[in-house]
Amino acid sequence: MNSSTTPHPSALAFFSISLLLAAVGSVGAGDVPPRATQVAALEMELSLARRPDVYLVLNPSARQLEVKVRGVALDRIPLRGVEKILHVPLLSASSPPPFPLPAVWRVVDGPGDSDREYIAPTELRPYKAEGYDDPPAAATPTRPGAPPPTATPIPEPPASYRAQLDCGWDLWITETLPPLGFLARARAAVRDGWERLRGRGTHPRPAITLAMDRDDAKRLHHLMRSGMPLLVLADP
Amino acid sequence: MLVVALGVAAVLARFGHAYAAYPFLHVPDERAATGDAQALGQRAARAATALDRLRPTGTYLVVDTYRNRLHVYRDGELLRTAICSTGTGIVLRDPRTGREWVFDTPLGERIIETKRRNPVWAKPDWAFIEEGMLPPKDPNERFDDVSLGKFGLYMGDGYIIHGTLFKSLLGRRVTHGCIRLGDEDLEFVYNTTPIGARVFLY
Repeated sequence: MNSSTTPHPSALAFFSISLLLAAVGSVGAGDVPPRATQVAALEMELSLARRPDVYLVLNPSARQLEVKVRGVALDRIPLRGVEKILHVPLLSASSPPPFPLPAVWRVVDGPGDSDREYIAPTELRPYKAEGYDDPPAAATPTRPGAPPPTATPIPEPPASYRAQLDCGWDLWITETLPPLGFLARARAAVRDGWERLRGRGTHPRPAITLAMDRDDAKRLHHLMRSGMPLLVLADP
Repeated sequence: MLVVALGVAAVLARFGHAYAAYPFLHVPDERAATGDAQALGQRAARAATALDRLRPTGTYLVVDTYRNRLHVYRDGELLRTAICSTGTGIVLRDPRTGREWVFDTPLGERIIETKRRNPVWAKPDWAFIEEGMLPPKDPNERFDDVSLGKFGLYMGDGYIIHGTLFKSLLGRRVTHGCIRLGDEDLEFVYNTTPIGARVFLY
């Protein structure tokens, strides 16, 4: 599904509580019992859905990210990849430990908080002095008859950005993964080594990286705010 | 020369870092639900039932603040999609006090608390400060009975679904957090959506 062109799922698909409902149904029929992780994920989602806030559900095995409120899937974003990406020495043999899942992580600092434009008049003139009867320099929608205003240009959200999670990792939303072939990595390591010698090395945090279409990445940008919960499901 | 260059590169690569990808492996969280199959089944059924009860029924609205679309649903069936305008996300700072207002459309669930025909807008301080003016001392000078259009659906905390004088800006992020609709769509939403209806914004 290219969700960037599909306004909404159909009515039936619109209510997506969870894939776990299937497991629950089978329990009722006396078939396969749900796994402990499935039950835990369902209970975690319930605790999130009891609040009126937006939350995200990442299903790594289905390569899907959902935007939900009250258990209702408002948006589904297909993922091209879900990876752990670390900035490590070229020949590093260690790999990160597996995550205990399911889990709920929260954004502690995201571009939805920080990428904002500020406006501040330098001074305020008395309301009456240049008053309501005189046309203002900039038209306002509160004044009928005034010329239509020009919308304040809003910067286009980026297609690649990071949000810090409370688990110590970043959530890296990106259209394209960094080059990961050996030669590309070797080039990057040489470049990084040179920068480190000059005291300008970078130390990106380890990242859970979600690769997705450009428009999908852009429209997630404003949701990456402090406190935004991310429920990560375990494999079914 | 080549050997020297390769040697330097090797030394630099020894100190440098590069991105490496690892599969998204995980293990079951030991704190996750435990118990026998029957108990797990019961817990899952309870949670699923509780989630099911949270579903909206009747008429409800869904607002996509990125695409600037408002959808009207009734019992899961899409009745109408309207182009709307939502908040800019800009922050306005009062030069006198440093107080800030964030022009975001709220996210999550809201309720239609009241509905009014010919709504009157009591302009808050930010509406004047944004124009470079001090807020008036006379409260009567705050009232505006034109800007909100013919109908208003109030979602609490000053957030309203209302009309607009400037239809050309529909479909763009131009508001202070309210949701603006065109005249026909606003009338449809007003007539279709009862007080108490839920609004899901994302």
